[in-house]
Amino acid sequence: MSHSRILNVALVGLLLTAHAAGALGQDAPAPVSFTKDVAPIFLKHCAACHGPPEVNGGYQVTTYALLMKPGETELPAITAGSPDESEVFNLISMDDADLRMPKEADPLTAEQVGVIKRWIDEGAKFDGEDANAALASIVPTTTQPDPPQAYRRPVPTTALAFSPDGSEVAASGYHEVTIWNAADGQLARRIKNVAQRVYSVAYNADGSLLAVAGGVPGQLGEVKLFNPVDGTLVKEFPPAADVVYRAVFNPAGTKLATGGADRAIRIYDVASGNEEVLIEDHADWVVGLAWSPDGAKLASASRDKTSKLFNAANGESLVTYSGHGEAVFDVGFSGDAALAFSAGADKKVHAWNPEDAAKKGEYGGFGRDVLALATADDKILSCSADNTVRQHRVEGFKEFKKYEGLTDAAYAIAFHPASGRVAAGSFAGEIRIWNAEDGATITTFIAAPGYSAEVAAK
Amino acid sequence: MNWQAWKRHAGRMLAMTLVGLITIPSQAISDEVEATDQAPAHEAIVVGTPARIEVFPAQFKLAAPGRQMHLIVTGHYADGSVQNLTSVAQVVSQDDKVAAVEGAVVHPAGNGATGIIVSVGGHEQNVSVEVCNQETADPVSFQYGTLAVLSKQGCNMGACHGSPSGKGGFRMSLRAYDPVLDIETLVREAFNRRTNLYEPEASLLLRKPLMEVAHGGGRRLKKSDPGYAVLRDWIEQGCQVDPADAPTCTTLEVYPTERILMRPAHTQQVVALAHFSDGSVRDVTALACFSSSDEAVATVDDDGLVTGLDRGEAAILVRFLDKIETSSMMFLKQVPGFHWNSPPENNFVDHHAFKKLEQLQILPSELCTDEEFVRRVYLDVIGILPEPAETAAFLADADPNKRARLVDQLLERPEFAQFWALKWGDLLRIRNAKVTVGGVHKFQRWLVAAFRDNMPYDQFARDLLTATGSTFENPPANYYRTATETNDCTETTSQLFLGIRIQCAKCHNHPFERWSQDNYYGIGAFFNRVQRKPGVNPEEQVIWVARAGEVTQPRTGQQMQPWLPLTGTAELAGEGDRREALVEWLVKPDNPFFAKVEVNRIWGHLFGRGIVEPVDDFRDSNPPSSASLLSSLADDFANNGYDRRRVMRNILNSRTYQLSSRKNEFNADDVKYFSHANTRLLSAEQLLDAICRVTGVAEKFAGLPSGTRATQLPSPDVDIEFLKVFGQPARETACACERSSDSNLSQALQMINGPLVHGKVRDENNRLRAQATAGKTDEQIVDELYLAALCRHASEAEMATATAHIANAGDRMRGLEDVCWALLNANEFLFQH
Repeated sequence: MSHSRILNVALVGLLLTAHAAGALGQDAPAPVSFTKDVAPIFLKHCAACHGPPEVNGGYQVTTYALLMKPGETELPAITAGSPDESEVFNLISMDDADLRMPKEADPLTAEQVGVIKRWIDEGAKFDGEDANAALASIVPTTTQPDPPQAYRRPVPTTALAFSPDGSEVAASGYHEVTIWNAADGQLARRIKNVAQRVYSVAYNADGSLLAVAGGVPGQLGEVKLFNPVDGTLVKEFPPAADVVYRAVFNPAGTKLATGGADRAIRIYDVASGNEEVLIEDHADWVVGLAWSPDGAKLASASRDKTSKLFNAANGESLVTYSGHGEAVFDVGFSGDAALAFSAGADKKVHAWNPEDAAKKGEYGGFGRDVLALATADDKILSCSADNTVRQHRVEGFKEFKKYEGLTDAAYAIAFHPASGRVAAGSFAGEIRIWNAEDGATITTFIAAPGYSAEVAAK
Repeated sequence: MNWQAWKRHAGRMLAMTLVGLITIPSQAISDEVEATDQAPAHEAIVVGTPARIEVFPAQFKLAAPGRQMHLIVTGHYADGSVQNLTSVAQVVSQDDKVAAVEGAVVHPAGNGATGIIVSVGGHEQNVSVEVCNQETADPVSFQYGTLAVLSKQGCNMGACHGSPSGKGGFRMSLRAYDPVLDIETLVREAFNRRTNLYEPEASLLLRKPLMEVAHGGGRRLKKSDPGYAVLRDWIEQGCQVDPADAPTCTTLEVYPTERILMRPAHTQQVVALAHFSDGSVRDVTALACFSSSDEAVATVDDDGLVTGLDRGEAAILVRFLDKIETSSMMFLKQVPGFHWNSPPENNFVDHHAFKKLEQLQILPSELCTDEEFVRRVYLDVIGILPEPAETAAFLADADPNKRARLVDQLLERPEFAQFWALKWGDLLRIRNAKVTVGGVHKFQRWLVAAFRDNMPYDQFARDLLTATGSTFENPPANYYRTATETNDCTETTSQLFLGIRIQCAKCHNHPFERWSQDNYYGIGAFFNRVQRKPGVNPEEQVIWVARAGEVTQPRTGQQMQPWLPLTGTAELAGEGDRREALVEWLVKPDNPFFAKVEVNRIWGHLFGRGIVEPVDDFRDSNPPSSASLLSSLADDFANNGYDRRRVMRNILNSRTYQLSSRKNEFNADDVKYFSHANTRLLSAEQLLDAICRVTGVAEKFAGLPSGTRATQLPSPDVDIEFLKVFGQPARETACACERSSDSNLSQALQMINGPLVHGKVRDENNRLRAQATAGKTDEQIVDELYLAALCRHASEAEMATATAHIANAGDRMRGLEDVCWALLNANEFLFQH
């Protein structure tokens, strides 16, 4: 007993010292901000166990409104002005490591505990706009870490896009987008301040904007617009709870549709940045998106084994295509909008009627999942986990051409009809560009600046 | 009587039972036993004075960085007992530059050779260790590192990502049976979501189980776990699969394989050593999964430390990927006041059963009374209760050998063959929908004849398994009619004749057993040439065997050779009927499954619990409660012409079979060592026949000759609600478990006020009315009912209560009906005891 009391006295002494030190500073410190100071702590240290899928002790920290509510104990979680009557404060500040939160983890630092105490003391106020907004969406955005200066090993190429003039190819990197000269594979530029993974890159029609979507698996979904020429950040959309797999401009470049692991599809107005349509119709990740050529409809591909078509103006669901019976990875339209295409884990590309979702045909020959599509006019190009890129004719559903040379699963594909170039990227980080006319390789390179096989071998 | 009146009637009756009209020997039928010996004891290890110490392994090699070796130190004492001294032994390396010691685990430090000195209890042992190849680290093996860790942490178990549809969109193969699927899922699937090749620590594969990112499965990994470093290093090294020429694990060795510990000794460290194709032996204790077959007896932790909780035995199951071995543990203790009273042994059954009881310090119950015996043996052997006259004659018989005589008589009665044909009819799934109405009768007659003529069991199996021709002319051919395709043949044959539930291995390696998917289809290769075609009669089917045809394993696409458990691939000529070879192997007296499964099935029938329980679920993780009892019965069976009557006679004449169900203070909590009779509800058919016996009113079954008893039914197609409620199986599967022994409310309602019981109690021609018409007194009728229902005379108190009730009932017949009804609802009637 006496032993623990001595410890407590010591602790009080420390706290007093800290307090005194604060009091000695210049002016009274600015009030604690929930969104800037408190929410990041909850998000980083509590959300894993106190937010779906885990809701331990019946207590959730998903939003401000929820974290103010008591858990199973029914003791007040936060009592404004009174840390001692706040279960959250009591639990993060107690000595007993078996009872203290976060459970089975390092305790919060004295500074973090102090921030929460002061916030409660000051009234536990909410300084954001919507108390029911996910904490992840209200915490201040941070600049992302820099990419590796020189890669010590390649990273998988998960996104590819040709610039509208076909001269450049944008590709996913680690914490960056890399831009390469399409003719010779020379690195043109690097765009940083990007989350760990990039799953989608897309240019608007005039090439003035590059939409980059990705995030940190299981933790963050990020969508940003960059100026592809100078790499400046133009706009940042609210973060999602898990990665965003796809962001695509409508043909006019006025709208941006996104879809990701939170199962939602969102359509933003590019100029204002406002979310105009929210579609929560898929039961699993949304992995692929495509606008109809007239920009009126949006097609989706989901791991829930369906491909769907929505009215892009109001989000109304139009038709559902369930023919794959397996996860669907990507969608596209024929140039005349008469056919929709979808690619899936059934190792096939299906063609179907966008009016009634009736199946019109299928393109086979793949050995594994078909992961991405590129369509233009009457051409359908696709890439597969079987390392191949194939081109099919709409007529007769026959294979027309095979682009060879990749040595690992082909994750991303891009096609530039005017220049006749096809590009695909693989798990091994290789980007290969072919001439669509004769299928000959134009260039191939590892999309990892500074990487060289010789260096890696050492 | 309308329903309201009947309800009043029933209520009155219930009250009568409660006030004690029926004296139920409550202890005899109570299964409620207070646990007395459950608390784990945490005594410190008392080293004492061992006669010698033993260290395992005696010498070893650490042939790569990161390898380690757990040492096991055992003290052997003068009285023959042993104790695990690992945690108290002093373990010191003679050269820290070669080998370092942490606890009792030896780690490599640098190339060379040295000794590890182990000392405890005044003894010393020197273990020599060779350390080599320390300059080059092996890359982490995908199979033996990554997948072993994911199995150990439970990630790929059936309830989590190993379920057929995975969890949270992430699916792994169950217990890593399909590495090709797993490498795809872990690395390339979902656009490389789960592993981060650039920052391994940031991989979702690590952050989720660490609960750094929300994980539905909760915290499954700590950074201090050996598995964390394995997974992280594997990702850091580029998520590589093992090269095609990498050494493979050939066998798993577990030490110790068996151990008997007498309290205070009650802990044992178990180590797992994997032997690889390159000759290396690696200590995989840290990567192996441990589980106990009986958590009430012993628990085992993730590091392989076994702790005994109670007297008894447990098999510790050690799994390293697809390799499974067991360590048999027996925990003994001195029970205060226990004294072995050396009960007489009637035959070898008692010898083996009592040896185990003495060892575990469990005292068997007394011999059951003649009343209990006559009821028990009739029900078990011929399925029905004796007539009151038969009971009275047996009770009056003064011959000391009368029990054995009765056993012999019952085994020769026609009801014996019919009752056991019912039992096998369940297993062979004899019902109209499977073999047609005509087929049912022909197949059942064949079964009855087999039991009547005491057909040797090897012949019985051979007739079934090698049958060809018309199902009408050769009824055993129905075996291949009920098993409609190869997989059904594989599963049915494995369960019936090998006691192996191999179904799991159809789609993946068995998660708890050694059977692999290859094994499943290897057994199938004996059956896939069996063909079926219509016969002349529209109800008939003809079984024939094609000359050729092979089985393909669906996952690997490989053509499978016929394969026999614990024997391996069978070398058979290319063409012809392979079933003959299967039967040849099966019926050899040294076959490790065939005889054991059948004697265990018989034992299970006679005791209500098998020596292996469930009776058709033989596996390492479900050991027999007495291995020597099971093998002695099986040997006697196999060496004496597979004579099933001989097995039954041996068991029925044993004192073990004839023990009372009344427990004593030293066997009250025993449920599996047969120290007392096991009370259990009569089976559906036994109960219906018993009700008919007591009331003297036979049940009529549509389409069957009058006088047919429920225990003689050829199939469940008679559609009697009463039978279904009491667990009569629909004969959909070959599993003995399909017959339900659960009790439920519908059963109580059937007995208290169901139409069947009501009708018979009230029947104008029932026993009690016949007796009354014959001029019998109340006392005589009550006694007759007691003899019919309970095989005993009414006690004085019971007689007084019953006759007083009849006298006060107003209507003599109503009063007698009440007594009859109350007897039918007494536990002593409803239960075998």
